[in-house]
Amino acid sequence: MDLRLSEDEKLIQRTAAQFVDRELVRREGEYLKQRELFLPPGDPPRRVLDPEVRETLIQRAKQVGLWALEISDDAETTPMSAVARVLIHREFGRTILPFAPACIPTVMRQNSYVKPLVDAKISLSLAFDQVHKTGTLHGIETRFREGADGYVLGNTHIDVFDPEADLYLFPAREEGSERAGLFLLERDISGLSIGEEDDLTTDAAVAPMTLSFCKVRQEQLLGYEYEVSELIASEQLRIAARSLGIGTRCLADSIEHARNRVTFGRPLASRQAIQWMLADLSVSLRSCTWLTLEAAWRADHELPFFRAAALAKKRAAKMGFEAADTAIQIHGGYGVCKEFPYEGFYREARMLRLLYGREGEIDRAVGERFLT
Amino acid sequence: MDFRLSPEEESLRKKVEEFVLTELIPLEPEFENAPDIFEGSRWKTRAKLSRDPEVARYVEIVEGLEKKAEAAGLWYLDVPNEYGGLAVGNVGMIAVTEELEKSSIPFELGNHVSNILYSCKGEQIDKFLWPCIRGEKTSAFGLSEPASGADPSMLQTTATPDGDDFIINGTKMFPTFADVADFVQLFARLPGTKGREGVTCFLIDTGTPGYRVTRSIATIAGTEPCELVFENCRVPKTQVLGEVGKGWELNQAWLGARRFQVGIRSHGMSQQVLGAVKDSLRRDAKEAQKSAGDIGHFLGELEALRSLTYFGAWKADQQMDVRTEAAHVKLFATELLHRVIDFALEVVGASGLRKCGVIARAFRHARSRRIVEGPSEIQRHIIQRALFREGVGLLELI
Repeated sequence: MDLRLSEDEKLIQRTAAQFVDRELVRREGEYLKQRELFLPPGDPPRRVLDPEVRETLIQRAKQVGLWALEISDDAETTPMSAVARVLIHREFGRTILPFAPACIPTVMRQNSYVKPLVDAKISLSLAFDQVHKTGTLHGIETRFREGADGYVLGNTHIDVFDPEADLYLFPAREEGSERAGLFLLERDISGLSIGEEDDLTTDAAVAPMTLSFCKVRQEQLLGYEYEVSELIASEQLRIAARSLGIGTRCLADSIEHARNRVTFGRPLASRQAIQWMLADLSVSLRSCTWLTLEAAWRADHELPFFRAAALAKKRAAKMGFEAADTAIQIHGGYGVCKEFPYEGFYREARMLRLLYGREGEIDRAVGERFLT
Repeated sequence: MDFRLSPEEESLRKKVEEFVLTELIPLEPEFENAPDIFEGSRWKTRAKLSRDPEVARYVEIVEGLEKKAEAAGLWYLDVPNEYGGLAVGNVGMIAVTEELEKSSIPFELGNHVSNILYSCKGEQIDKFLWPCIRGEKTSAFGLSEPASGADPSMLQTTATPDGDDFIINGTKMFPTFADVADFVQLFARLPGTKGREGVTCFLIDTGTPGYRVTRSIATIAGTEPCELVFENCRVPKTQVLGEVGKGWELNQAWLGARRFQVGIRSHGMSQQVLGAVKDSLRRDAKEAQKSAGDIGHFLGELEALRSLTYFGAWKADQQMDVRTEAAHVKLFATELLHRVIDFALEVVGASGLRKCGVIARAFRHARSRRIVEGPSEIQRHIIQRALFREGVGLLELI
């Protein structure tokens, strides 16, 4: 057993940490700043990162190798390990600025779209609505069958959380064999339509996607069962890592605030109610860190890692949410202000808990396996 | 990074796994009604004193197991090389305990040697350490007092220097097995000192004039800790363990080393309890469906406990300061075990409280685990203190 990071991993982590501190955390103030002195009634609109800032950040992230982590620049370099990706996403989770390395799933490696994706000319999103309920293949309802020079997808209504994307990856099951397949859908193919956008309570949008008599070319089927499951697991690891970042930031800021804020003549840090919240958070953050790293390590060593990834996601996302909840409570009135990042973490982490398997479903699957 | 056991640790684990499968598990039905005194490695002294023929029968069985384990080279595992042991590290010992906990037979590999006894010097080595390693002597640990438990720096027992001796006066509460132990590791303070200063550890033989074990006290856990009274008990200074006035570090070292074992034991006991829940649900598919989610939740938490425990043990093996890790593990482990048992009883119902059953046994043992060796509140205190001292740097990967 050796739980030390390798020199390469340390370097990657340090690079990511510096990038996040210098480029992202530094810009938080500007991003979170309230633009008007008095707001119109109602919930404030969704926050978006200034497109110019975004473009600058993409360029800088590329320069330091923190972009398109799954894809290597050339045939000689190997893509980043799962452990390294966890370390990177963990750092990016520490900021509320909506910016993180683009995720280009490994199934896209051989695809002609990979170049524009890496260049951030186009974007890709996962249309995995049917997966989010259980985090497994069981939830996939849409069927596909072979047609003339390609496949026909069954009629489907789902929600997509990234309505602006140019490409979607979409899982469906084959009629008869029931095995899952993974399709690449271009936004403009016939039979696919995306409805009107709504704001989510996180700073993201949602829109209904409809497939009706949607025909796709043969090469748009990118993989089968394993590829879909692997994609779910790697997304779970990404969410777990991001949640670790949220937890770390919320804990760090809460410690700092508790040291400085004085009530009734003593710093908050001297109050047991505050101390215990932070101690419990530390236990949960620490255990989630090891679960996530172990799952990623298993992925790198070609050991089964799907269950480990699901567990890491479930616990880490819950921990992230609780960390944000604690940070809000300790920051008091400031905690719920939009000029501070904690309410944003709170909204985001609540969403993360619902993606790629809700807690109850992941638990139930584990329990049922144990009982049979 | 590598989450696998080293080849040596793995082969040791396999050996223990084999031993559990062939020797312990077949005995499980027989042990279903065994008396509680077969807890831990110090069962022998207590059980041997019993006149109950039923107990004698179990003594014979367990002694047979001991011989087999020794023959298989599984006896002196965590004993340092210089004392003829295998010097298995913390990670290895966690792996060993994890295997042993797969059986409900209360059996430990090796004689119980209090880790601070390795500080013995000169004659102390032959008089106290060797006999403990060989299993000829057992020791008790005298730290808590009637008015100082969670905060041992408040201890009041005094050790007054008098020529080449010290005169001990005071009362100790709850040293387990003190009534059958051959000596006690006693913590007392030099006159006029306060807090952590002046605390000194003595090795005091049972039967030393002025040292009395006044009574043993029944507890919910089935263990029977004792009350010790020292009245002008004269102890030569050659029986000071470590240095005079440096006893505080020893008591912290004793507490620290055990935490990771507590982690893996709670993990094992929880698994056994969930196993009992599974058995009870076998005939009731509807109930099983209702409980599946909760069971899955606890299995996930146990997985988390396991990795937290291994990480702490690994860090201890790197000779790093693990007091905070130990606190994380102790807090998480004992509180989780409590929740698992509470849930199990809700599923199994009142019949789960049948005294000989796994769940009832765990129910009684687990309650004291949230208190002994530092209650949960103290663990939270240790963690928060470290957080405010070091910030989140505390959580940095190595």
